[in-house]
Amino acid sequence: MTATPTSAVSSSPRAAGWAVDLADVAKTYKGRIHALRGVSMKVGAGEIFGLLGPNGAGKSTLVKILMTVISPSRATGTVLGHPVGHKPTLARVGYLPEHHRFPDYLTGAQVLDFYAGLCGVGRADRRKRRGELLELVGMSRWGATRVRSYSKGMRQRIGIAQALMNDPDLVVLDEPTDGVDPVGRRDIRNILLEVKRRGKAVFLNSHLLSELEMVCDRVAILVQGVVASQGTIGELTEGRQRYEIEIADPRPPIEVLRAIAPDLAAAGKLPGGEAIEHTPAMLRVATADAARVQPLVDLIRSRGLVLQALRPVRPSLEDLFMQAVTDPSTGHVLDPGAADDKQGRAARTGGGAA
Amino acid sequence: MIQTITLLVDAYRELNAKKLFWITLVLSGVIVAAFACVGLDAQGLKILWWSFPIPMFNTGTISLALFYKFVFVNFGAALWLSWAAMILAVVSTASIIPDFVTGGAVELSLSKPIGRVRLFLTKYVTALLFVALQVSVFSVASFLVIGLRGGAWEPRLFLAIPIVLGVFSYLFCICALVGLLTRSTIAALLLTLLFWIFLFILNAADTATLAIKTDMAGRMTAQEKRLVRQQSELERREHWARDQLNERAKADAAAKGEPEPAPGVWTIEQLDAADPTLPNVRAERGRIEKQLEESKDNITQLRRWNDGFVIAKTIFPKTTETTGLLERVLVSDEDLESLAKAFGGDERRGRRDPDRPDNDLETERQLRSRSVTWIVGTSLAFEGVVLFLTCWIFSRRDY
Repeated sequence: MTATPTSAVSSSPRAAGWAVDLADVAKTYKGRIHALRGVSMKVGAGEIFGLLGPNGAGKSTLVKILMTVISPSRATGTVLGHPVGHKPTLARVGYLPEHHRFPDYLTGAQVLDFYAGLCGVGRADRRKRRGELLELVGMSRWGATRVRSYSKGMRQRIGIAQALMNDPDLVVLDEPTDGVDPVGRRDIRNILLEVKRRGKAVFLNSHLLSELEMVCDRVAILVQGVVASQGTIGELTEGRQRYEIEIADPRPPIEVLRAIAPDLAAAGKLPGGEAIEHTPAMLRVATADAARVQPLVDLIRSRGLVLQALRPVRPSLEDLFMQAVTDPSTGHVLDPGAADDKQGRAARTGGGAA
Repeated sequence: MIQTITLLVDAYRELNAKKLFWITLVLSGVIVAAFACVGLDAQGLKILWWSFPIPMFNTGTISLALFYKFVFVNFGAALWLSWAAMILAVVSTASIIPDFVTGGAVELSLSKPIGRVRLFLTKYVTALLFVALQVSVFSVASFLVIGLRGGAWEPRLFLAIPIVLGVFSYLFCICALVGLLTRSTIAALLLTLLFWIFLFILNAADTATLAIKTDMAGRMTAQEKRLVRQQSELERREHWARDQLNERAKADAAAKGEPEPAPGVWTIEQLDAADPTLPNVRAERGRIEKQLEESKDNITQLRRWNDGFVIAKTIFPKTTETTGLLERVLVSDEDLESLAKAFGGDERRGRRDPDRPDNDLETERQLRSRSVTWIVGTSLAFEGVVLFLTCWIFSRRDY
């Protein structure tokens, strides 16, 4: 396997130093279930990359391919500069799988020691890092307790510490905040930001869109085995920003618009071409430029109407996600799960692999 | 190196956490203690301070060292290590592979910079370590008992470690394969025990057909001897009858004043008339001949069956015979003879047909004549094939 840069994701200024550089990764189970259908993505050093998608989109399959737990049907690309599947490279990668199970006969400290040992970390380093990381994840008091008595949140914390024991250049975390309380989530966010600050890459797989939005530099949305969209949140929301206008009037906003500017109401757009949408509570103008909205604001005010609110709105990650998982032709949310030839769900090609 | 040490330390921790490991170890200690309590003196069996007089079974018939070796081989190794402790070991270790490959656990291990085969084999060795430690402790304790109580320092006793370990590994390869395929401890345990029962039945069938065949061969030898004796008896009587008839012919010729006739050729009827017991002797010979023919047919059939079982055993591991190697090493043929005498072999022989050899001893000799290469080599070959298959599946599977 060789590295093949993909132009679709090259908007990041990181021309070099990709921690993960994947092109055309595919995985088919039993010859008909297409879990991944040519996924390409890049994760830069020193960035937090979020991978999201509905259940069965292929997120865990992709993560497991990176970690050599699953062999791909086809894959081109590199992890930390080495071909995907290169075992020695994994010494520089930290990993926390979803629904992980540590040997229950080990204590928290022994878990850290064991997995770091498997990474080839020397005894002295293990001892030093073990103390530091137990402290970092707030588990110092519980290091000598067997993991079988841990709560879900405590296991997650030990899991994250485990993923950092080998001082990795790339940290791959699958649902790291699963089962963790709000305080723990904040702690984990801070840990991730600290890892990023040290120039390491973090590959985060999560369902919690708000969590991802708070920490991720870039995200990719995976739907039925293809990357539906990928980029920074700014890039993904570009062209989707809008201004919301609320008028203090008992009539519905569209009625007000028809009364003061029937030509705009009929056209459904401003003279500059910016679309005007309406809800029972507000008007929405599809633009990121405040100057473009001013003529409409002036018109409303000139008719003696009170402008109750005017605010710029950027779509949330959830909006982007819902858009990605909605079939544009029917408006319905796509079926969860991988594309299956037998069930005839392989037709979707929209979105396109980046 | 760091990875190997880490895996071994983990193996120790895993064993240490298993209660059955310690229970088995304690039971081993109890059995060795019981072993030390039993002894032999000039009167008979001695348990602690009490003596139980047994004629023919005392230090006069077998040495104290042989007694302890016999007890170690037949009770310590053959019953405790090869059956009871083995079952406990299989129960204790059946979960090792299913737990290892269960979702959430295997991903972490596979995501580390260590080869899958090495990872799997280390887990496999963990289970073997369980038995190795158990047998080592038992062997050391038994070595001390035999040395201190029997006065024989027998280092060959430590062969119990590789032998019992080998037997366990024959079974554990199946346990590992089933555990990998089903990820179920119960399935791994049950199928391993079923496999073991199958091996036991196969061995029992082999031993039984061999014993019957040996018995039949002994019977045939006796029949052949009887036939030879019956034939010579028949010839002797026919000769006597012929002489009688010739004498009578001579007497008749003399009475008639005729010259002495030459010895005549007499028919069977004439001979039978001369000696009325001849028909019975001839009938007895015919009966023995018929029995001999039947015995030959039976032996041919038994040989065919036994050959079939031996071929089947060649493919599969030989647990009982591998364990039996320890007896071969520790108890010599001469020791076996003296043990047979001590356990009343002479009395049994006295009650039997004197023409027939001691079949038990003969069967034992035939079993002992099977080569170590055949017993261990083919068993290890089976284990190697199963282990290779298991490693191959583990290496190629997606988790």
